[in-house]
Amino acid sequence: MRALGVVAAWLRTVPGRIRAGAVGVLLLLALLAAVLAAGVGQARGGVDTIGHDAGPQVVVTGDLYFALSAMDAQVADILLIGGEHGLGIGYDASVRRYDRYRGLADTAAVQASQLAGSDPARLGTVHAVLDGLGRYERLAAQAIQLADQAGYPAGRPTPDVVATYRRATDLMRLQLLPQAYNVTLDSGATVRASYESRRSAVLADRALVLVAGAVVLAALVAGQIYLARGFRRVLNPALALGTVATLALVVAGAAVLSAEAGRLREAKRDGFDSVLALSRARAISHSAFADESRFLLDPERADTYEQTYLDKSLAVLDVEPAKDQPFNLATYYAGLGRQITAFAAGYGAFLGFFGDEARQERTRPGLVRTLAAYRTVQDNDRRMRALAGRGDLSGAVRLRMGTGRSGAIGAFDAYDAALGALRDQHRHVLNDAVHAADADLRGWDWIPPVTAVGVAVLVLAGVRPRLAEFR
Amino acid sequence: MRRAAAVLMLALAATACGPGESSVTAKRSLRIGVKADQPGLGLLDPKTGRYSGFDVDVATYVAGKLGVPPERITFKTTPSSTREKALAAGTVDMIFASYSITPRRKTQVTFGGPYYVAHQDTLVRADDRTITNVRDLAGKRICAVSGSNSWKRVTEERAVKATPVEMATYSGCIAALAAGRIDALSTDDLILAGYAAGTRTRVINAPFTDEKYGVGLRKGDLAGCEAVNRALTAMYQDGTAARLLERWFGHSGLKINPYVPQFEGCS
Repeated sequence: MRALGVVAAWLRTVPGRIRAGAVGVLLLLALLAAVLAAGVGQARGGVDTIGHDAGPQVVVTGDLYFALSAMDAQVADILLIGGEHGLGIGYDASVRRYDRYRGLADTAAVQASQLAGSDPARLGTVHAVLDGLGRYERLAAQAIQLADQAGYPAGRPTPDVVATYRRATDLMRLQLLPQAYNVTLDSGATVRASYESRRSAVLADRALVLVAGAVVLAALVAGQIYLARGFRRVLNPALALGTVATLALVVAGAAVLSAEAGRLREAKRDGFDSVLALSRARAISHSAFADESRFLLDPERADTYEQTYLDKSLAVLDVEPAKDQPFNLATYYAGLGRQITAFAAGYGAFLGFFGDEARQERTRPGLVRTLAAYRTVQDNDRRMRALAGRGDLSGAVRLRMGTGRSGAIGAFDAYDAALGALRDQHRHVLNDAVHAADADLRGWDWIPPVTAVGVAVLVLAGVRPRLAEFR
Repeated sequence: MRRAAAVLMLALAATACGPGESSVTAKRSLRIGVKADQPGLGLLDPKTGRYSGFDVDVATYVAGKLGVPPERITFKTTPSSTREKALAAGTVDMIFASYSITPRRKTQVTFGGPYYVAHQDTLVRADDRTITNVRDLAGKRICAVSGSNSWKRVTEERAVKATPVEMATYSGCIAALAAGRIDALSTDDLILAGYAAGTRTRVINAPFTDEKYGVGLRKGDLAGCEAVNRALTAMYQDGTAARLLERWFGHSGLKINPYVPQFEGCS
C-alpha cells in the first residue's frame, strides 16, 4: 500500500512521471533479456543432449553391442572350423578378428562409462557389462583351448566344446548384449524426450521474446513521443539509439531461436533418428549373423537359433508373407526379394529399421546399396541352410566361413560396410547440425544481458538532461 | 501486437497439452488387461474376484513405478483375440497377458519390454520317453487350442508332420493328454509350467523359440513405453524380477533366466 502511495505521489509531477516511465522500461528490458536468455538456455540444453551427451552415447553403446556380438560370432566361427585351420577365412584370421573386436569392445565400454557419468543407473549397467566381459573372455578362451586339443573336423565339435561355448554365449546373449542394447535405447529415449520438450520451449520462448520485445519497443516509442511533446524537441538521440538497439536484439534473438529450433529438428529427424535406427540394424544384423554359426555349431539348439535369426531379420526388414503362408525363412527370402526389387524401382514401403530409413529421401542411393548387400547376405543364408538340411555340413561350414564375393563372411562384410557408410552419412548430418547450432549460439550468453544494460544506460542518459531541467 | 499475443497463446497452449496427456505416465489410476485362465501368469479366482500370477505381479510393480499404487489398479480380463481392440478403444491402459511382441502387432500396439522371454516347449505324459525335442512330434497327436497359433509353429513353421487335434481350452488339452487322447501340448514354457503343476505330465525342456512377452500400450505412447522400460530395468536391478520368477516358476523345473531381457525399443 505504501509503495502504491509513493508511486501515486511520483505520478503527480512531470519528473516523477519520467522517472516512473524509465523504471518501467528498465523492468521490461530485464524481462526481455531474461526470456531471451531462457530460450537460449533451452536451445543449448537441447543441442548438448543430442550432440554432446545422449546422442554420442547411442553411437558408443551401439558400437559396444556390435563389438560384443562380433566377438561371440568369431568364437563360434573358430569352434566351427575346429581342426581345419585353413577353412574359409581360417583360424588365424578369425583369432585376429576376435582380438580386434575385443579391443573395440574395451574402448567402447570405457567411452560409454565416461559418457554415462551423470546417470547412476546407466553407469551401473555399463560396469555390469565390463565385469561380465571378463568372465566371457575366460569361457571363450577355455572353449577355444578345448577345440584346439580335440582338433575335430569342421562342423563336428565335441560335446565339451559345445557345452563350454553354451555357457559363454548364454552369458553374452542373455546378460551382456541386452544390457548394452538397453543403454542404447535408453539414451535414445533421453534424446527424444529432450528434443520434444526443449524444442517446444525454444519456440514458446521465441513467442515470448516477440511479445516482450514489442512491449519494450512500444514503451520506448511512447517515451520518445512524450519527451518530444513535453519538451518541444524533435528527437531524443539516446532514446532513439536505445530503440534501435532493442529492435536489433529482438529481431536477432527471435531469429536465433527460430534457427535453433530448425537445427534441433534437422539434427533429430535427419541425423539422430537414422543413426539410432541404423545402429540398431547393425547390432541386430551382427547378432543374426552369429546365429548362423551357432545354428551350425549346436544342432540341439538349431531350431531356436533359426527362429531367432528369422526374428532378427524381421526386425531389420519386415516382410509380410503372402496370404495363408506361414512365417518362416522360406517365405521371408521370397518376400524379401519382392520388397527390395520394388523399393529399388521407387515404390513399396516396409517395416523394420530399414523401413524407418526408407522415409529419408536424401540417402536413398545409400539405402538401395545396403539393401542389395542385405539381399546377398540372406541369399547366402538360404544356401547355407539348404546345404545343412541336405546333410552337407562341411559344405555349409565352407560357405559360412567363406570370404570373397561368394562367401558368407565376404558378403556380410560388404553389407556391414554399406550399412556403416549409410550411418556415417547421417552422423555427418547430425554433426553438421550440432556444429551449426553451437556456432549460432556463440555469444548469446552475453548478448542479451549486455545489450539490455546498454539500452538501460541509453534510457537513463536520455532522460537525465530532461530531469536536470527541473532542478 | 495482437498477432504476437496470439502466437504466445498458441505456444502456451502447445506446451500445456504436449505429449503425455493420454500417456500412462499421466494417469492417476490404471486399468490393466491380464489373462484370467493361465495359472502362474494370470488367473482369476472366481470366489474372490482377484487375479494372481507373474503377469499380475509385474503389472503391479510397473504401475507402482509409474506412481499408481495397487488400490488404484483395476485388472480386466483381456483374452488374446481382443487385446489390440481393447488398447485402441481405451478400455484398458496397459496389457500384461503373455502378449508376444511380433512385427505384425507392432503396427497396432506400442510395446514396452519384453519383461520376460519365454520359449515354446513341449508338455508330455510323465512316463513318455519317446519325445525329447520338437522333431520327435512327427507322427504324434498334438493339441491345437482354438485361437492360439503355437501348434502352427510346429506343423507349419518347422514343417514337423504332427497331427493337430482341436481343443477349446488348455485345460481340455491337459485332460486329453492325461487320458492318452493326445501325445503332447506345445506352447510357451511359462504357460505349460502353470498347467503342469499337480498333473502327471512334464515339460521336456527342449525350447525351440523365443517368445518376447511385451507390455501392450496404446499405439504412440512413447513416453509411457520408455517409462515402462525404466521400471522393468529397475525390477531386474533391484532383484524383484528374480524373486517373482522364483515364486511363480521356481518349482517348475524350467530353466529360468533372471537377467533383464533385450528391450524391443519404443515405436
